[in-house]
Amino acid sequence: MTSARVFLIGGVMSFRALFNWLSPWIYVPTMLVSPVFQILLFAYIGRAARVQSDKFYVIGNALQYTAIPCVFAMSHTIAGERFQQTLGYILVTPARRIPLFVGRSLPVVVNGALTSAFALALGGAILGIHVPVSALAPLALTIVLCAASCTGLGLLSAAIGFLVRETATLNNIVFGVLLIFCGVNVSLDDLPGWMSTLAQGLPLTHGIEAARKLADGASLSYVAGLIGAEALVGLLYGLAGYALLRALELQSRVHATLERA
Amino acid sequence: MKSARLLVIGWFFQLKMLSRSSFNGILGILYPLFFATVAFLMYRAGSPNALLYASLGASVMGVWSAVSTSAGSAMQRERWQGTLELLVSAPAHFSLVMLPVTVAMSTIGLYSMAATLLWGWLLFGIDLHVAHPLLFCVSIVVTVVSIGVTGFLMAVAFVRYRTAWALGNLFEYPVWLVAGFLVPISLFPGWVRPISWLLAPTWGMNAIRESALGGTPLPDVGLCAAIGVGCLVLGIAVTGTVLRSARARATLALT
Amino acid sequence: MAAIEAHELRRTYRTSIGVFRRRTLEVEAVRGVSFEVPEGELFGLLGPNGAGKTTTIKMLITLLIPTAGSARVLGFDVVKDAREVRKRIGYVFGGERGLYERLSGLDNLRYFAELYAVPPRNQRPRIEELLELVGLRGREKERVEGYSRGMRQRLHIARGLLHDPPVVFLDEPTIGVDPVGARELRSTIASLTQAGKTVLLTTHYMFEADELCDRIAVINKGEIVAEGTPRNLKEIVADRTVIEIEAFGIDDTAVERLRSAPGVTSVSVEEREQAQVLLVQSAKGLELTQTLLGLLNGATIGRVVAREPTLEDAYVALVGEA
Repeated sequence: MTSARVFLIGGVMSFRALFNWLSPWIYVPTMLVSPVFQILLFAYIGRAARVQSDKFYVIGNALQYTAIPCVFAMSHTIAGERFQQTLGYILVTPARRIPLFVGRSLPVVVNGALTSAFALALGGAILGIHVPVSALAPLALTIVLCAASCTGLGLLSAAIGFLVRETATLNNIVFGVLLIFCGVNVSLDDLPGWMSTLAQGLPLTHGIEAARKLADGASLSYVAGLIGAEALVGLLYGLAGYALLRALELQSRVHATLERA
Repeated sequence: MKSARLLVIGWFFQLKMLSRSSFNGILGILYPLFFATVAFLMYRAGSPNALLYASLGASVMGVWSAVSTSAGSAMQRERWQGTLELLVSAPAHFSLVMLPVTVAMSTIGLYSMAATLLWGWLLFGIDLHVAHPLLFCVSIVVTVVSIGVTGFLMAVAFVRYRTAWALGNLFEYPVWLVAGFLVPISLFPGWVRPISWLLAPTWGMNAIRESALGGTPLPDVGLCAAIGVGCLVLGIAVTGTVLRSARARATLALT
Repeated sequence: MAAIEAHELRRTYRTSIGVFRRRTLEVEAVRGVSFEVPEGELFGLLGPNGAGKTTTIKMLITLLIPTAGSARVLGFDVVKDAREVRKRIGYVFGGERGLYERLSGLDNLRYFAELYAVPPRNQRPRIEELLELVGLRGREKERVEGYSRGMRQRLHIARGLLHDPPVVFLDEPTIGVDPVGARELRSTIASLTQAGKTVLLTTHYMFEADELCDRIAVINKGEIVAEGTPRNLKEIVADRTVIEIEAFGIDDTAVERLRSAPGVTSVSVEEREQAQVLLVQSAKGLELTQTLLGLLNGATIGRVVAREPTLEDAYVALVGEA
């Protein structure tokens, strides 16, 4: 298979696997309803605590929620392969790894971005926030970038999932850490120093800040630095995840641990 | 009374089983704790007086989560274990059998409650002074039981759905929001308030706050209990229908 | 008044197949089953998988509502007086499931004792008595998740007897139990009727049915095809001889050849590790052995035995010739 076909077909396969979640009974509650309620929850706490504007919380939470479709789904896809014992088959194919994994990531990123965008639109509409029309396209870009960044983290989480049995717990902790540290609901200035420093190395931190500035009317060039930082962070996590998977794959060939449940 | 005995013993054994399952344990405590932490950070930055208010509210979040995420699939689980048939073919009324299951779930939520209060005290210096200790305990008990009863209603109402767990998850955030755990209900638009008033956790939460901060918790306790009874009656009615249908159409796969 | 009465019980299942164009299929699992079991009798219900045994039992124990027909247990209608029926029956089924894994055997019994309304005063002595009876004394504090198959089976039986029900339904109670344990269980089952209980038993083990049951009904494809004492049923095949041929590497065409041989009434094949055992029934007096061996020309033959038919052969005759 050429790399391009691996990329595309692998992507579709991954999407189908993702489609366990596509039953409307699961998709609607998890991808459409819950993020909006998360936004509303924190926006109202924000109003009660009188800290930031509604827009602050809408953007923060809409982007943070991509962690669910991106980190969970990516981790799930890889773990799912292992569960069905197909991971060994996939890794053994002569197909080149990078198109394979990038292909698998693509549907996850798209799904994550759509989830985020939907939550942003609906949550924003309910709370009555305004975003300049000129900001829509750059915002869309930022959303996709955040989704890609989280997917990179998801890949790392998937790799770690091989070593740790409790992937569900792990992913929930990742979700929680992102919720607390990345300036989602508390501006980095209001966080203790060590937390805001740590946040710089996490996905979403830069992307959320960029998105907020864009929504307030900043131009794309103004936030270029932040966007670049976000892309870099995401890429690094993705590479780390990929490297770990390759290392585990090699190790498993020696120790026959790939299929160990 | 036989029924009371059955409820207590059923609850005791279900609690024993839940305590021995590590899976939900850590997550059940951690997950609400993340949200509580964010809420504390937000209140600390904006209105530090409200921290105790937030702490009490955040502690009840875990009780609700313990139920909403697992009550919906409670009957499914019995079926997988092969025990559903035995429960249905027992002479005891099925509600008396199922109710202890969900009340045990909400009881386990007490771990989360304690953890959240402790966390708030340790990391944010939120001191918990309780004005009326006895009423505080009563309020907690009534809240936990009524949340358990709400879970019972979910368990029998969702029994047809194989994805019951997702449906249960659907109710997690909305109840956190609307029952006023972290936010005063007065902030919501007018049309939301009747929805809050219909939920037992709303009144339970009020009662817990009133007894801690020094108010009049009894009317709230009463309302919480009353709504709980309403859920119970509704749940029993639904159980009757569901079981009759299952026996006639063999859909519950009791076999 | 009979302990168990079934009148023209029928049960249809509706299933839908296909994803896009759903079609409903109606399967009639039980088609007019009638029988009566007097008090104190040990009644066996025999039949192949899918014959309708389990469905029939489920109707009698109030888990399924019959599509047509009626049934009564101790005079109480299984549909209208379900609660009264449930108070008076015990239900034991085979298999690994049906117990709370994370609780101990003792806790399982205590929980079910409460569900079955055993008076609190009697619970402890009753549980101890039952643990002794089924041979689990000393292991009751361990969690069920660590129990062997046989232990679970025995716990099931103890559970089914907690409230001392006058009527007991046993669905393959000795399946998966080691021979010694199974023998003990069978004597326990026999003692139930000695104590005056009525027992309805389903089993695949013919020797068990032969040993235990006062009367047997054979059910096949939803209908009762024979009913009577074990001796009655054996008489169905009393005029036959059974030739057991141990063979290696027999294929279906060879079996068909045997079936179409003159005088042969039925052929069944039992797989036993390396070999197969062919059970050929024919009328008594016909000397078919040579003919049969001739038809199996080319295959390796082991032992050949001609013998009197057993209950199992009667069963095979009844369900195999449908």
